[in-house]
Amino acid sequence: MRNKIHVVLIVFLLFPFVFKVTALASETKQRVYDFANLLTSEEIHELEVLSNKYSSKRKTDIIILTTNDTKDRDVVEYMEDFYDEQALGYDKPHGNTAIVTIDMQHREVYVAGFYRAEKYLDNHRCDLVRHKITPDLSQGNYYEAFRSFIKISYRYMGVRPGVNPDNIFFYWGFQVLVSLGIAGIAVGIMAYHSGGKITVNENTYRDPGHSKVIQSRDHYIKSTVTKHKKPSNNNSGGGSGGGGGGGISSGGHSHSGSRGSF
Amino acid sequence: MMVIHYKCPNCGADMVFDSKSGMLSCDSCGRKDNIENFPKEFIRTAFSKEEAKEYHCKNCGAILITDADTTATTCSFCGAGVVLGDRLSGDMAPAKVIPFTISKEEAMKAFQSWCKKGLLTPRGFMTADRVKGIVGMYVPFWLYDINSQVEVNALCTKVRTYTRGDYIYTETKYYDVYRDVDLTYVKVPVDASKKMNDELMDKLEPYDYRYLKDFNMPYLAGYIAEKYNFTDKDLLPRVTARIEEYVESYIRSTLLGYTTIRYQNKQIDIKQKDAYYTLLPVWMVYYDYNQSEHTFAMNGQTGKVVGTPPLSFGKIAAWFGGIASATFIILRLISLIMGGGLW
Repeated sequence: MRNKIHVVLIVFLLFPFVFKVTALASETKQRVYDFANLLTSEEIHELEVLSNKYSSKRKTDIIILTTNDTKDRDVVEYMEDFYDEQALGYDKPHGNTAIVTIDMQHREVYVAGFYRAEKYLDNHRCDLVRHKITPDLSQGNYYEAFRSFIKISYRYMGVRPGVNPDNIFFYWGFQVLVSLGIAGIAVGIMAYHSGGKITVNENTYRDPGHSKVIQSRDHYIKSTVTKHKKPSNNNSGGGSGGGGGGGISSGGHSHSGSRGSF
Repeated sequence: MMVIHYKCPNCGADMVFDSKSGMLSCDSCGRKDNIENFPKEFIRTAFSKEEAKEYHCKNCGAILITDADTTATTCSFCGAGVVLGDRLSGDMAPAKVIPFTISKEEAMKAFQSWCKKGLLTPRGFMTADRVKGIVGMYVPFWLYDINSQVEVNALCTKVRTYTRGDYIYTETKYYDVYRDVDLTYVKVPVDASKKMNDELMDKLEPYDYRYLKDFNMPYLAGYIAEKYNFTDKDLLPRVTARIEEYVESYIRSTLLGYTTIRYQNKQIDIKQKDAYYTLLPVWMVYYDYNQSEHTFAMNGQTGKVVGTPPLSFGKIAAWFGGIASATFIILRLISLIMGGGLW
């Protein structure tokens, strides 16, 4: 009886992995627009496959856009115009989109979200994503940077808006590790106690009538006080400058965003 | 040399100690007698002046097979309970005894239910029908009364953190702490038999000392008893080590509220005030499983069972898998509630 329950639990545990394999969507839609030629064709192909997989899970297209020439426009404006022209969106033209734009001319990066992604990748989360990919961009590891962009934005979009998406509690690895740890400790305790345990302690044999503190002294000597600054919440890592801020495209589509140089 | 039988005043059969009533009882006619007032004329003793190597059962004349430490046994031919009196006199006379309160049948039943309760023991083990032998044994213990005088000096701190403005402050207060403590521990048991596993015997505690009786030989009738191999002086280091742990834990309990404790001077003076040679009741259960013998001991007064049962790899794996997956599912649900996705 007990064994059957375990089997059911294990199957339940493996279920998501089985699910993942079958969930690969079949549509082929362009999501990587590498006008700046930062990637090889194999890299583009792999990013397309990855983005295809994660885009369908979040019902949000995850787009990579690079350019050498913004035609004198700001990176934000360039991205907005591109969105309007291409009618990007997973659910409909001009729909749910998370997009990273690399302007090689001014070495600027802009992370933005439209509609569902505007909600789930708000300015703060766009900031977080940008900070995480900027080091790779600065070193020229564009493929790596785009891979993490796809994965991180996918992950963030699975966490309710307003909640810290980087909470370690949300990580699979952490949860698996904690589960194994707890199970190991529990079984260890069970095995250790299987032969009976010591149930007497200091209290068992003490004669309360003839045991006491005869003399005690708690003499205050001195105090020391140290202070340090509160850790600030707006950590600015990687790249220089930058900051939050969305906008509305000339086509009238509102979006969140975070820009910075690399 | 002295062999003692307790003869039933009614029918003359050999009487044994009955754990239920706490009296001497006759298996043939059911007569029960109080141990303190058992008529002396029915105590049969056989003396012999010379250093005999053998004891003879007064009942059937057979040689009693005992080893040098046995003080009570049953005759292997006629089953009569006999007490070897000379091994219980002089220096070897026990001061106290806790009589058995759990009978053989109850012990078997308690052992069986303990086996069934084992969460990691293999399935076949739980039936408990492979018990090779169950022996009621009075194990020699020394019960120590110990007094310890303790003086400690320590530098202790209390740490408090608070926030004011943009800063976090950590305030550490230092105290010079002194404690002078007088602690008395009574009747701390240490087993004095070479044959018994110390760890096993320690786990059998506690015994209920309210039923501690002055020693009287009839308690041993029908059981196996051993005499001590180690004197109270021999075992003093063992009890001292134990008392030191107790003292440490008591001292720590007087220093609650401090964040850190650094002892600068600690003097623990442990003195033995008394030691009572005491026989404590233990049921020994010998059990065969997978060609290896497992030994269990049961507190003959409380029914507590200790020993090393075999562990089933399958059950360990099942528990591990079950707990891990259950914890994992709970964690996923919590993260879902907190706002994360299910996957």
